[in-house]
Amino acid sequence: MWGMTSGALSGLGYPILQHSLDNGLRVISSPDHIAPSVAINIWYDVGSRDEEQGRTGFAHLFEHVMFQGSAHVASGQHIALMQAAGAVVNATTWFDRTNYFETLPTGGLDLALWLEADRMATLLDALTQENLDNQREVVKEEKRQRYDNVPYGDVMELLTSLTFPTDHPYGHTTIGSMEDLDAATLDDVHNFFRRHYLPNNAVLSIVGDVEPEDAFERAGVYFGQLSPGPKPSKPDASPLAELSDLPRAEASGNVPADAVYFTWRLPARGSRDFDALDLAFSILGHGQTSRLHKQLVRGTEHAEGSGASTMGLIGGNSFGFSYARARDGVSPEDLEQEMVEVIDQLLTDGATEEELRRAKAQFERQWLHELARVDSRADALGEYATLHGDPHLINSRIAEITAIGNDEVQDVLHRWFRPDQRATLIYRQEA
Amino acid sequence: MNQFLPRPAIAPAAVWAFPAPRRGRLSNGIELMTFELPGQHVISAHLVLALPLNAERADIEGVATICARTLDEGTRRHNGEEFAELLETEGAGFGVDLSLSGFQLVLDVPASHLDRALELFAEAVTEPSLADRDVNRHVQLRLAEIEQAQANSAHAASIAFRAAVFDERKRASRMNGGEPDTVRDVTQEAVAAFHHDHFGPVGATLVLAGDFVDDPIAAAERSLGSWRNDEQRQVMIEEPTAGPRRTLLIDRPGAVQADIRFGGFGIDRLDPRWAAISVASYAMGGAFLSRLNAVLREEKGYTYGVRMNFGPLRTGGSFAVQGSFRTEVVGDALATTRELITVDDVPFTGQEVTDAVAFFTGVSPLRYATADGVADQAATQILAGLPDDYVDRSLALLRSVTPEAATEAYRSLVDPDDLTLVIVGDAERLADPLRASGFADLEVRPPSSDQTQP
Repeated sequence: MWGMTSGALSGLGYPILQHSLDNGLRVISSPDHIAPSVAINIWYDVGSRDEEQGRTGFAHLFEHVMFQGSAHVASGQHIALMQAAGAVVNATTWFDRTNYFETLPTGGLDLALWLEADRMATLLDALTQENLDNQREVVKEEKRQRYDNVPYGDVMELLTSLTFPTDHPYGHTTIGSMEDLDAATLDDVHNFFRRHYLPNNAVLSIVGDVEPEDAFERAGVYFGQLSPGPKPSKPDASPLAELSDLPRAEASGNVPADAVYFTWRLPARGSRDFDALDLAFSILGHGQTSRLHKQLVRGTEHAEGSGASTMGLIGGNSFGFSYARARDGVSPEDLEQEMVEVIDQLLTDGATEEELRRAKAQFERQWLHELARVDSRADALGEYATLHGDPHLINSRIAEITAIGNDEVQDVLHRWFRPDQRATLIYRQEA
Repeated sequence: MNQFLPRPAIAPAAVWAFPAPRRGRLSNGIELMTFELPGQHVISAHLVLALPLNAERADIEGVATICARTLDEGTRRHNGEEFAELLETEGAGFGVDLSLSGFQLVLDVPASHLDRALELFAEAVTEPSLADRDVNRHVQLRLAEIEQAQANSAHAASIAFRAAVFDERKRASRMNGGEPDTVRDVTQEAVAAFHHDHFGPVGATLVLAGDFVDDPIAAAERSLGSWRNDEQRQVMIEEPTAGPRRTLLIDRPGAVQADIRFGGFGIDRLDPRWAAISVASYAMGGAFLSRLNAVLREEKGYTYGVRMNFGPLRTGGSFAVQGSFRTEVVGDALATTRELITVDDVPFTGQEVTDAVAFFTGVSPLRYATADGVADQAATQILAGLPDDYVDRSLALLRSVTPEAATEAYRSLVDPDDLTLVIVGDAERLADPLRASGFADLEVRPPSSDQTQP
């Protein structure tokens, strides 16, 4: 069915070795000698879902303050030293994680590990009121730039609040509330760090031109002396029932087109049901041959764009959504009705074998692409080790997806994707 | 408290070179460049056409973009949906990238599917249907895309900046995808004529990169080797020139931030100052602790990030300081920027140069470690008229930059009193502070009409 280099039958063969330090830090090595570079990536098992009510935005705030210096590193010097070693450096925050990464010539590996260890151990020595205040301002600028001053910038927030109760771990987005950030004291911030930034709450992946023994030894040298702490308890991850009563919301703003969004609660990632739904969402809204594009963009030409996607989450439920933006002269109500017909049709008729094959082929390319770079491979290893306890899954993902049958897709659609299980958001142009 | 180790030194970087292509030629004259990259299981194929955007007729600019976007909407052998289905069944992705100097038509596909996917790719390029309905739809979608861009403050600022910084008579001053006035006049006949006149093997290069399962040269010959177009017309690329200096405030009532572009006409990669200005602009606005970001973000908290960037074209180019700033601080942010970008009394230092060179040298192996990274760079080099070993040569040139050369190149290109300024933001709150900050010749433009159209 597939050629020799693809993973479907044989599984991919990226070497993956694991080692845990005494303090609980999990270290993953995947040697790759194609270039004299190494990617390191630390996944901390803390995301916006770990925030308490009234303390939203903290996980993301740390993505900023972690660059403000530690006991032996001056403010801003982490990135400066790394860039001067030829590194690409950044960090991200999401519902289920905060991760920090640098990719650089192998000769800078020790420095990168030392910097990461210094801030994991001693960030609080340098976290002053002044640093905190400054980064709060930067976060507010980030919010203005990425959410407030952008058309549809608040959609993600609107969709999560339609899909999850406000007090649910996924009921707010990573940027959080500016009021909560303003109210945060230095103590609050220190406590958040002490609770979550622990070697036994992190996974360190080292991918590239370094042998596993060497990677593990260096990790031990720099991180071995750090003290573990009590493993933080995770928020309640019991699955919610599917959405009911067709919740609706309306929003308006200075946007170039009316838009319609649907969301669904889905099962947590890491399950065959979720993977089957992921294929179904791909058939519904990914690419030119997807149902929504064929009907709304190519067919009736009522939409200028459309799509559907899942967002895999670990805490009990994931999230799925679809959208379309109306062409001029098409009312959002008519567009909504047309989307409903496409969606219901998928449920009634099921996917064709051809559609399923295409969705799998597209998944394969995207997955191979993801693993082609040492930096994104390191990220994937951290992700699967943190959320699923097994980094080797990156080698078997294609085989797992390929094994899903059309009957399973049909089955999950009937359980998670019925007409009464969605929420609707209508986004209108301001008059 | 932990017993901490001293900060480790950096070991010297291993020798690295940009991969060397195997060069060849298909029987119809298409240049072929192949890069064997072990472990890269997704093949990246770029068909590069030396077809500059100034080949478009002035009254229907955008026709090149509509043509490129309609290529995969069906071919003479396979109707629209069938074609897309065949391509996606191979796990392939098809994309187009148009720049002022030419086209890149891009195919990404798992190695085992290359042969069949290349055949389909060739069909799209050489015998697309370019049907009336598809062309018209892409015209409408392009118009909607322009509305989307104009509604986005950062995009609107970039569009207005290029319109100001380049001479308005030159193609470079207008969006690559065309402006509304010309896009809406693009017809099926015009698209078909553009394809007929300009698509052909002359001046084309096929770049293939990845871990091949089968002989890529044979596959390339089978798919594209018999392509002919005896009526293909070649067009010389137009050289952009600078527009007059302007200070332009585009009103966006109620905006919480202002997007700023502050810069001028620049240089291309073949200019002898290119290495030096790369170093200087990195120190000024490329690094995280660049002179601009260290003050405006890290010290003052005015912005999520500010940078200075030199964008080269095939000849000439542009540069700008760019960022988003909250409305209240724009006047001060610009005054501070103007001080910071003046280097007369604070020339670039040896440390700044060392750090910049280390950065550019260090990121290269990673950037060019993947099939798409290599193919994309090779394609960029072709369109910019650069040699195959350009990356290695440019890194060697960077290593020879002195602080004096960086400062001199910078001062020859950046005159803080002669820069074009474009701001997109709330004019009612910005105009007075801007005039007070010394921008006396401020022109205020009402919100874009495309943005408010129902």
